[in-house]
Amino acid sequence: MTETSGIWPDETDETILAQLREVHEVLDAPPADLTDRVLFTIAVAGLDAEIARMQDEQMVGSGARGTERTRTISFDADSLTIMITATDMPDGRVRIDGWLAPAGPWHVELRVRGERADARESPAVTADDAGRFVFPAVRHGLAQFVVRRPGGAGPESIVVTPAVTL
Amino acid sequence: MTTDARAGDAAEPLDARAERPARLARCLERARGGDIGALETVVRELNPLLWQVARAQGLAASDAADVVQTTWLELMKRLQEIRSPQALTAWLISTTKRGAWRANERTRRAGVGSGVPEEMPDPAPAADEGLIAGERHRALWRHFQQLSRRCRELLRIVAMVDRPDYAMVSDALEMPRGSIGPTRGRCLEKLREMLLADPAWSGR
Repeated sequence: MTETSGIWPDETDETILAQLREVHEVLDAPPADLTDRVLFTIAVAGLDAEIARMQDEQMVGSGARGTERTRTISFDADSLTIMITATDMPDGRVRIDGWLAPAGPWHVELRVRGERADARESPAVTADDAGRFVFPAVRHGLAQFVVRRPGGAGPESIVVTPAVTL
Repeated sequence: MTTDARAGDAAEPLDARAERPARLARCLERARGGDIGALETVVRELNPLLWQVARAQGLAASDAADVVQTTWLELMKRLQEIRSPQALTAWLISTTKRGAWRANERTRRAGVGSGVPEEMPDPAPAADEGLIAGERHRALWRHFQQLSRRCRELLRIVAMVDRPDYAMVSDALEMPRGSIGPTRGRCLEKLREMLLADPAWSGR
């Protein structure tokens, strides 16, 4: 089978690779909403935003049938750790208790995806001196945390997380 | 080129695929110029590639989605440094692979009792041959499963990139040069030999 092996890639190679792609697209396709999630996530990010990577996600408590379900998620950036506990409320909303470390009275925005892409439905709070913040009732859905800290003389620093489904 | 599988229906027409590098280059240029909306095309076109990179590292679907998202977030900071679609693809592949390593490391450290085995199984389910339409595609899948894990990872990624990008894939994946790229490489050579020897695929 070496008659065409000198030329790379030849038509046979291209056929093999195209079929491999097609098979993987059938057997292991990305989630249908992955592109939307990415576009939502990067809409806020600028050149200067620091990224907090998801470190850990754990279910806590009973988790029975989605009621009283509680999760903790932590995000790590070089300069900041964000930890949240998301609790499902009986009214169908989600309560977020969060902590920033190191602690500080910084501005925390929870970007949520609205019905319309341009809808402003993103609540914002200021953390207390201990770094605690609370969003008492947010909708289920895709959400992303954006923390802004004044930079003293310099520009404010911004930390963003990837979007999570609350 | 034949696409006798139902899988082929979902694929782009070949000419659209062939024009993709030029299309990506235009969008990248616009995005660097401040038109962030132009990134939508880039994300749409390259997300399936990044998904396969993350999954080839053995990540669960939810972790793979997080890693892919984070890769794009990181790209926003690097946009001005990346000049060509080849450089973009290479950067996205290596960043996603590193992100997947970190996620795997985290899972291991957490010692999650979720039964993640030492040697991760190929996340593409082996028993799914029945989902594949078309005898040639099924034959290809059977032979593909015979390859080493590393070869499967490599070819799975190469299959998702455009022809001008082949040369950099082994570098981006931090695999030895002989793997594939500048040459056909051992992995594809082996699969090709098996396929050409199988009448179900080659029709000979």
